[in-house]
Amino acid sequence: MRKMTVAEAIREALRLEMKRDERVFIMGEDVGKFGGCFGVTQGLYEEFGPERVKDTPISETAIIGSAVGAAATGMRPVPEIMFCDFLTVPMDQLVNQAAKMRYMFGGKAKIPMTVRVPVGAGMSAAAQHSQCLEAWFIHVPGLKVVMPSTPADHAGLLISSIRDDNPVMFFEHKMLYGVEGEVPDEIEPIPLGKADIKREGEDVTVIATSMMVYKSLEAAKELEKDGISIEVVDPRTLFPLDKETIFESVKKTNRVVIVHEAVKRGGVGAEIAAQIADEMFDYLDAPIKRVAALNVPIPFSPPLEKYVVPDVKDIINAVKSIAR
Amino acid sequence: MSRVGIIANPASGKDIRRLVAYGTVIDNEEKVNIAKRVILGMVSMGIKEIFIMPDTFGIGDKAIYQLKKRKSIDNQVKILEMTIEGSQNDSTKAANLMKEKGVKCIVTLGGDGTNRAVSKGCGGVPLIPISTGTNNVFPRFMEGTYAGIAAGLIAGWPEDKELFVVNKRLVVVKNGKKVDSALIDAVVSREIFIGARAVWDMEKVTQIIITRGEPTNIGLSSIGGYLYPIKWDEPKGLYIEIGNNLTVRAPIAPGIVKEVGIKKYTVLNIGDKVEVKTKPCTIALDGEREVEFTQNDKGYIMLDTGGPRVVDVKKTLLKGVKNRIFIKEREEI
Amino acid sequence: MKLKKEELLHFYRKMVEIRKFETKVVELFADGMIPGFVHSYIGEEAVAVGACSNLNDDDYITSTHRGHGHLIAKGGHMDKMMAELFGKETGYCKGKGGSMHIADVDLGILGANGIVGGGFPIAAGAGLSAKMRGTNQVAVCFFGDGASNQTTFHEGINLASIWDLPVVFVCENNMYGISLSQKEHQHIKDISDRATAYGIPGVTVDGNDVIAVYEAVKEAVKRARQGEGPTLIECKTYRHRGHFEGDPTVYRSEEEVEQWKKKDPIKRFRKKLLELGTVTEDELNSIDEEVDKMVEEAVEYAKKGKFPEPEKAVEDVYTDIVEEVRE
Repeated sequence: MRKMTVAEAIREALRLEMKRDERVFIMGEDVGKFGGCFGVTQGLYEEFGPERVKDTPISETAIIGSAVGAAATGMRPVPEIMFCDFLTVPMDQLVNQAAKMRYMFGGKAKIPMTVRVPVGAGMSAAAQHSQCLEAWFIHVPGLKVVMPSTPADHAGLLISSIRDDNPVMFFEHKMLYGVEGEVPDEIEPIPLGKADIKREGEDVTVIATSMMVYKSLEAAKELEKDGISIEVVDPRTLFPLDKETIFESVKKTNRVVIVHEAVKRGGVGAEIAAQIADEMFDYLDAPIKRVAALNVPIPFSPPLEKYVVPDVKDIINAVKSIAR
Repeated sequence: MSRVGIIANPASGKDIRRLVAYGTVIDNEEKVNIAKRVILGMVSMGIKEIFIMPDTFGIGDKAIYQLKKRKSIDNQVKILEMTIEGSQNDSTKAANLMKEKGVKCIVTLGGDGTNRAVSKGCGGVPLIPISTGTNNVFPRFMEGTYAGIAAGLIAGWPEDKELFVVNKRLVVVKNGKKVDSALIDAVVSREIFIGARAVWDMEKVTQIIITRGEPTNIGLSSIGGYLYPIKWDEPKGLYIEIGNNLTVRAPIAPGIVKEVGIKKYTVLNIGDKVEVKTKPCTIALDGEREVEFTQNDKGYIMLDTGGPRVVDVKKTLLKGVKNRIFIKEREEI
Repeated sequence: MKLKKEELLHFYRKMVEIRKFETKVVELFADGMIPGFVHSYIGEEAVAVGACSNLNDDDYITSTHRGHGHLIAKGGHMDKMMAELFGKETGYCKGKGGSMHIADVDLGILGANGIVGGGFPIAAGAGLSAKMRGTNQVAVCFFGDGASNQTTFHEGINLASIWDLPVVFVCENNMYGISLSQKEHQHIKDISDRATAYGIPGVTVDGNDVIAVYEAVKEAVKRARQGEGPTLIECKTYRHRGHFEGDPTVYRSEEEVEQWKKKDPIKRFRKKLLELGTVTEDELNSIDEEVDKMVEEAVEYAKKGKFPEPEKAVEDVYTDIVEEVRE
C-alpha cells in the first residue's frame, strides 16, 4: 500500500491504461500542457505527447461527439468535461448519440468511452461551476454512471471504466482531488456495479456517494458517542447499482438514510429509495430519509453555499430522526 | 434619360478550383459591398436609373436595402423584372433586357465565365468588368466606386468610340450551328462530362485556342502567354496542340505553375477555324466545360471580333478630368 | 479523370437502385406497411452516389434522417434495409432503429441520425480515429442546409480543420430546412462560403449532376487521404417529395417542383449516357429491370421476416447488461 491523493490515483490509472492500450487517449479543454483545470492530467502530455493527450478547443459538443466517433471506430477515448455543469452543452451527443448508438443499430456498435467529469460545490464557484448532475445520466439507458469516493476506488474504477465497452460517465468530486488515502501498490480494476461498505454498523444504513461518504464517516464518529452505530455503504457506481449489497445492509439495520450532494428533487436518492421501498418494504422499520442539497442553485457567497449543501450535522439529524 | 446596368453573378468564384488550385474566394456579402460602391459611384454622377439583375442570393436587393437604410440613395436603383433560373443564362438574359432598355453601360461583377455569359446578350452595350471570379483574364480587379463613376460618365456622353475597345471572340460551331462562344480561351478536353466544370487535369487536354495570351494572364490562356504572347488588341489568336515536342511552364490555374507538353502551335488570323479533333470531348469556354461533342458530332472553333466592347476606364476618367467635370471654381475668386 | 464504362454504369445503377427503392417505400408507407416517419431521398440520388463512389468499404460515413440513399450508395443491402423499415428482426438493426437509424457498421456507416446535424462531430471523431490508427480511411459527413445552422456544424468542422482530419463534409443543399426555405433560415446562399471561416476549401457543385459531385468529392477525398485536412462540398439539389411522407408541402410552389424535376439527376444522366453512345438503351433498360427485381425481392424479404419477440426490446442497450423485462 501507498499513500496517494485522488488526483494522483486518477492520473496513475490513466497512465497505466495508456501504457497498456495504445487505443486509449485523453482529450479535453486544457488537459495537455496546462495539465488540466485541476491539475489531474499533469505530466501525461510530457509522457504521451500531444497526439494522445489532446488539447481541444472550448467545444464540448465536439469533444463528446468526436469521442463517440472515435470510440465507434476502434479507439477508447477518455474525454474530460472541465466542469459537470458544462455537460449541458454536449447533451445531445451523450444522450442521443453515445447512449443509443448500440441499441439503434441492433447491437452492432460499441462505444467504449469514459467521460471524466469534476463535480461538486465547496469553492464558491457558484451556480454554473458547482453542480452534481449524475442523476440525469442514470435516467438514460445506455450509459453507465460511476461516482467514487476514495483514491483507491477512483483508480480501480477508472481502469474498469476505460476497459468497459460502453459509454461511462465518471464523476469526480473536485474537493476530493487533494484527499489522501491508501492505494494498492498494484492497482487492480474494481468491477462496476460493486458497492463497498466503508464502515460496518448495526443501527442505520447510510448510503452515501462521493464527498458524502467522508461526511457520513465523520457523522458516524459523532453518532457513536450517542451509541448509534451506522453502516456506511458507498455504491460507487450508480448504474449498474449494487442492489444486493444495499439490500443486505438494509436487512441488517432496517433503517436507511441516503446522502448525496446533488439537490434532493429527482436525485439519485429518490431512485435508490424507491428500489428499497419496492423490494425491501418488509424489512423497513422507519421511513427512508434523504439528505441532499436544498432545491436551489448553488450560491456564491461562502455562508450561502455552506448552507445549501448537506453537512455532517444534517446527516446526524437524519440518522437520529429514525434511529431506535 | 441615361440608364446603366449592373450584373453581379452570385455563383462566381465557388467552383472546384478553390479545391484543386488556390482560387480566389470572394463571398457574396463582398459582392454586395462592391455593388454598393458601384451604385454610389454612378449616383454621384447623377445617374437616375440603374438596373440590377435579380439573383438567387439577392445581391441587388441587399445592396438597395442597405443603401436606402443609410439614406445614400432614393429610388435610382431598380431590380430588373425577369424570372431567374439560377444559372448563367440569367446573366445573358439580363444583359439582353438591359440592352433593350437602352442602358449605356453595364458593370459586371464576376469572372471570365460571367462576362462570357453577359457578352452573349449585351450586343453592343459596353461593359466595365470587375473581377470577382476564380479565373480572371477578361475582368480586372478594380475599385467599384470609380468603375461606377466611369459608367456614369459614359452614360452621360454621346458615344465616343475612342473610349471602347473591341474584343475578340471564339465561336464554337457544332454540326453547322453556332452553339456557344468564349472570350479568352476554348479548351478541348477528353473529359466526356461537364461535371464539376473546371478543367484542371492537363492529361485530358488536347487542343487550346486562345484570343489572347500574355504572361500576366492566369489560366490556360497563360500557356500562350509564356509560349507566344498574343495581345488582347492584336487581330490574332493562337492555336496550341498538346503533345511532346516541347514543354512550356505556365500558371495554368491560381497557384498552379505546371509544365505543359506542346506538340505544335500556330498563329490564327481573324476568321481562321480550328477543327475539333478529339471526340468524344467537352470544350471548356473561359475555364468551364460547356459544350459536349459526341463521337458523331463535327465542328470547329473560329476566331472573330464579335466580342463585347469594354470601357477603357482610365481613359474615360481622364477625359472627364480633362473636361473639368469634377472641378468647380469658386466664381468670386 | 477518365471514367470507364463500368463506373458510369455503376453510377447509373446505384441511382436507379435508390430511386426505385424509395419509390417503393413511398408506396408501402401509403399502404400502411411501414410505421413511423419516412424521409424520401428521391431527387437527391446524385449526391450520395457521386460521393460514395469515391469510398472504400472501410471508409466511414455519417448519414442523416434522409439516409436510405447513403446506405445504398455505400454498398448496403436493400433487403435488410427494407426489413428494418418494416420493423422486422431480419432488418439491419433488428427492428430497433427503423428508417431514421439505419446503419451498417461493417460498411463504415455510422448511422442515419434523427438529430439534425448530429453527425458532424461523430465524423470528425471517425476521422480522428483513422488518423490516430494510421490508416488511410476517410470519413464523409452528409448533412443538409438546415443542419448547417446547428452548433455541431461549427464545432465539428472547426475540430476537423484544426487537426487536419480526413473528413469530407458533403452538404445536400435541398433549399429547405423542413418547411423553411433557405432564404428564411440563413443569410447566405452558398454554404460553401462558410468554409473560409475554417480555413478550408469550400466548393459548390451541381448536386443533380452525379459526375460533378463525383469529381469534387474525388479531389476532396484525395486531399483528406494525403493528410491535408477536411473540405466542404456543397451540392445544390432538391427533394422531389416533402420533408417526410405526408408533408403537405404548402411552403413551395408546384412550378418550383416541376422546374427541379426537369433537372432530375437520373433522367439527365441516362440521356447523356445514350448521347455519348457508350451504352445502349438495352443495357440501361436491363439495369432498370434488374433493380425492379431487387426491390421486389427486398419487399419479399421484408414481408417474410418475423417481427422481433417483444422481450428482445431489453437487449443491446449495453454490451454486458441485459435490462429487466416487464413482469
